[in-house]
Amino acid sequence: MTKRTSLSEAVASIPSGSHIALSGFAIARCTMAFTHEVIRQGILGLTVSQCLGGMDTDMLVGAGAVDRLIYGGGSLDRFGRLAFVNAGIENSSLKAELYSSLSITFRFLAGSLGLPFIPIRSLVGSDVLAQLENRAGSDIAYVTDPFSGDRWLTLKPLVPDVAIVQVQTADEEGNSVILGPKWDNAEQVRAARRTIVIAEHIVPGNVIRRQPELCVIPGLMVSHVVDLPFAAHPTCMYHEYDYDADEIKKYVEAQKAPQKFRDYLDKYVYGVKDHWGYLDRVGGLRRLRTLRADPILGY
Amino acid sequence: MDFTPSELMAVSGARELEDTQVVAVGLGLPVVAAFLAQKTHAPNMTILFEIGVIDPEPIETGVGLADPRVWNRATVLSSFTDILGSVLHRGRVDVGFLGGLEVDQYGNLNATLVGNPNGKFRHINGGGGANDIASSAQKTIYIMRQEERKFRETISFITSPGYLKGGNSRRKVGLPGGPSRVITDKAIFGFDPETKKMMLISIHPGNRLEDVLSTMGFRPIIPQHIPVTEPPTAKQLRLIREEIDPERMYMGGQEK
Repeated sequence: MTKRTSLSEAVASIPSGSHIALSGFAIARCTMAFTHEVIRQGILGLTVSQCLGGMDTDMLVGAGAVDRLIYGGGSLDRFGRLAFVNAGIENSSLKAELYSSLSITFRFLAGSLGLPFIPIRSLVGSDVLAQLENRAGSDIAYVTDPFSGDRWLTLKPLVPDVAIVQVQTADEEGNSVILGPKWDNAEQVRAARRTIVIAEHIVPGNVIRRQPELCVIPGLMVSHVVDLPFAAHPTCMYHEYDYDADEIKKYVEAQKAPQKFRDYLDKYVYGVKDHWGYLDRVGGLRRLRTLRADPILGY
Repeated sequence: MDFTPSELMAVSGARELEDTQVVAVGLGLPVVAAFLAQKTHAPNMTILFEIGVIDPEPIETGVGLADPRVWNRATVLSSFTDILGSVLHRGRVDVGFLGGLEVDQYGNLNATLVGNPNGKFRHINGGGGANDIASSAQKTIYIMRQEERKFRETISFITSPGYLKGGNSRRKVGLPGGPSRVITDKAIFGFDPETKKMMLISIHPGNRLEDVLSTMGFRPIIPQHIPVTEPPTAKQLRLIREEIDPERMYMGGQEK
């Protein structure tokens, strides 16, 4: 069964107030086209969860679409910081629950396995835990190991309403290949109630069946498949395209003042009809082909 | 031979690593130290990046862990569950290599924010895997620049637990391991086996004891005899400058 839809249709399936898990990290495989469309459609009150935040998360927070962030940290690598996330934490306008990479992963993993809770050695003794006990106390508890009698910190599963995942290749049913490190994506998809796949290429199911061991996302977990090239631009997509350093620097500049950010959104988000308009605005094919990955190196 | 403080930090970090060890590293100086060890005395060492990368062989420096340049020719590209779960949490990481914003005398490390977390503060990046690595590695090594605002009696936020309040307080909460070394641009520190207080081990060439103490907000244990840190060899410097970080992405450009 084909699940192909337009990006706007896929985004419109997400009500305000939903809990979404995003597939990006720093400047890699971020859900940029999705983020632009969420802002254009005016979806608000989102909860975002992921191990490490990136450019998409920061832009959603900057645009006021996010109420709550459940994450383990994040940055724009050497380009900069998640300035809107950090500002939201500093002035308490964002409900941020800061964990660690593994504790977020374990929460997704517990969700993916249908477990009621998951024990973990991380966080113990730290201020990360002390702060979470204040802010997210109901997601943290202690149990006694029934075998050893040891006391363990346990975490509640994370079950997002939707996972949104940028992939290189998918078929129309949503069976998807992710090349490169998957960080927390496999667990996010399996924990979430459903997944929206945004693929650089849609291929016939027979292509997936030729090397099914590469399939990271089973189609049965997918509700929408969106066929959209350069949908992670200006972040990178391994074996497809490199990050666009010039465009990321423009975003970092736009983080510095509210008016600059409004201008940025006017130019790249509100000022274009859709992702095709965005791609034209950043220079179209002439620009984008300079980012094409070397087939051996993958970047 | 001339060398920069950063180069000596990377070399000192490399010297702490042994062949066949499994080492989890964050980006920056820890990466340089780990690759240097692998290219010299520890060819059978395994390098891990938390996002799911084992033993990469980069030929270009990257802007961070999200840059595919640093995943080049890895043996495994997998996931957090694989690296931080099945390798680290399972107990297979010998050494965790971390940087940070602040450290206290018991080796508790802050990688999250600066200021008062209940008042005015500046949030930096959040720790990512820094807490996980400090909690589950057999031992951790810190590499950070030494300044009074970074070496403090009380730090703003404990991201990565060291020896908590000293003595056996880390053991008591159920954590293995703990920090073994703090490598700075002025000196190398260890920890007293009983009190778990930071202890001076060696001072880098060109620094006096007062240079070390005047850039710390607490007084470390000072032994009777303090050796001078062994300077880098010509081979180590050549590897750093020509092979590992030719663009000086991690080592900085200006300093002397």
